[in-house]
Amino acid sequence: MLDVRPQPALHDTVTALTQRLFHEARLLDDERFEEWLELLCEDVSYHMALKSRRFRADRSAPIAVGAGNVFNDNLARLKLRIDRLRSGFVWAEDPPNFVRRVVSNVEVLDADEPNEAVVHSVVVIHRNRIDGQTRLLTAGRTDRWRKGGESWLLAAREIALDHSVLPDSNVNVFF
Amino acid sequence: MDVADLVDTSTGRQSRSIYSSEPVYRQELERVFGRCWLFLAHTSQIPQPNDFFRTYMGEDDVIVIRQKDGSVKAFLNTCTHRGNRICRADRGNARSFTCNYHGWSFAPDGALAGVPLENEAYFGELDRSKFGLVPVAQVAEYKGLIFGNFDPAAPSLEDYLGDAKFYLDVWLDALPGGTTLVGETQKMVLNTNWKLPVENVCGDGYHLGWAHAGAMMAVQSMDLSGLSVGNASANLEGGLSVAGLNGHMALTSLDGVSGYAFYPEPKPMLDYLEANRPTAIERLGKLRGEQLWGSQINITIFPNLQFLPGLNWFRVYHPKGPGQIEQWTWAMVENDMPEEIKTTILDNQCLTFGLAGLFDNDDGDNLAACTEQSRGWRTSQMDVYTNMALGRSGAREGFPGDIAAGLVSEHNQRYFYRRWQEHMQASSWSDVPAYNLNSLASREAVDA
Repeated sequence: MLDVRPQPALHDTVTALTQRLFHEARLLDDERFEEWLELLCEDVSYHMALKSRRFRADRSAPIAVGAGNVFNDNLARLKLRIDRLRSGFVWAEDPPNFVRRVVSNVEVLDADEPNEAVVHSVVVIHRNRIDGQTRLLTAGRTDRWRKGGESWLLAAREIALDHSVLPDSNVNVFF
Repeated sequence: MDVADLVDTSTGRQSRSIYSSEPVYRQELERVFGRCWLFLAHTSQIPQPNDFFRTYMGEDDVIVIRQKDGSVKAFLNTCTHRGNRICRADRGNARSFTCNYHGWSFAPDGALAGVPLENEAYFGELDRSKFGLVPVAQVAEYKGLIFGNFDPAAPSLEDYLGDAKFYLDVWLDALPGGTTLVGETQKMVLNTNWKLPVENVCGDGYHLGWAHAGAMMAVQSMDLSGLSVGNASANLEGGLSVAGLNGHMALTSLDGVSGYAFYPEPKPMLDYLEANRPTAIERLGKLRGEQLWGSQINITIFPNLQFLPGLNWFRVYHPKGPGQIEQWTWAMVENDMPEEIKTTILDNQCLTFGLAGLFDNDDGDNLAACTEQSRGWRTSQMDVYTNMALGRSGAREGFPGDIAAGLVSEHNQRYFYRRWQEHMQASSWSDVPAYNLNSLASREAVDA
């Protein structure tokens, strides 16, 4: 879905999109979810597939109906998640956890569509939880950003979570 | 440690030490996980010869392998030479399993097939027949679910499941095509004693309107036995808490549709139910076909298997010490479902009870804190209670089990701890009592 010519983007585009990722991370760290939604396209696709550990030589058939997902969200479903977080009943987030995202390894490439760019990045989410313990969640991301007027909006995000067993009791965070 | 003091079913009391004590935990590994039938895999996960799936029985690492003749065997995942793990993949297909310490290799039937330097260093004197993989004593299947048992003296799987099959079949046998577990395993570490998530799902409708209030506000689209956000109301006529079945339990609504109450858009599922209900009634009878198929039914097979038709998650809890588990979840579908319905289920399962599930993400911290609050010097000497609706249960026309009204009751949890205590007190299966209360079969015998 995110095939691209490996063509590095122009310097201005790289700067704009790198800043976009940093800004996005700060909005999420600060739980400014409504402002984050404004960075998303109407047709956004937000996806994290399930994975398993397989032998390199394994040739067994893929699973019928697909691997399954952690996230398989469109804009409406992302809004449902935010509705829940905003309900005042999500006890796991009250008192708030200390959450900080580190975004790195940003690589910006031209996409097939003239007004789009493909952006690879890595995100590490630090969560210091109510029990005082810290969990680190690490994921690779491949995004497709679309230029709408002066602004870059997220059209698609494919998230590769780097944990075979989730080391936390919830995923009340966005990647 | 006297197990008799740890649980009192007559008052609904449990000692908090059962969630934190290392000696209690070691005894559980022996007398609960070492003796009960434990879920290993679904047949759909290992369809072809040499397909394998790795799982746990208690803390013991096990490989489940489809044989050439179509049967299933399970082995401890440990080399008989120096003990190394021989299979490091979660699942797949393999013609042999080779230990990466010294290169011993084992065939899918468990036979020791190859030993490097067998003639040069063992002088040809190693009796390979004595060093095959160690098999799980009993492996059996019930309608697609493969179970294993370490105890050769355990009752048959059919007898073990007993009248719980009446409820199991609502999902496993409603339609002729059977079921499939779909997707990769959804694995999560929770810092909780293993009994707490089991009791949470087996009978605790009480927490739903409170612990999950935020998720209910976001996605609830239909009535579920009158349960509401903030536990403002409940309709005890709308459901049943079913226990008294050798430790197995069902917690079910009776409307035939509310399994999909937490789908934000349930219409495709309601259409599917309507189209297929005549078949379900034909196969399950009017009572189950109309009132249970499509309802929200939490089913628990003692000790650690649970599933919930409707939201369609299927789950096993693997203990990792007294204070930690790995929770493994899959989505389960009926094979007769059209592809788009299967996809709808997979999608809603991940939205509600997946790793980032709106409901699932509410439970972990509560269970972890209950565990932590049983570990202190003072708290470990304290008790906790499941004493709601004590003594308010009995027979219910047409349904096996000892049954209390409604989804909000602690009736099932008391039976869960009673069964746990019975196993913990018994030195072998011959000391474990068997009961299928208000069994349909015995009632028919009495009527006749």
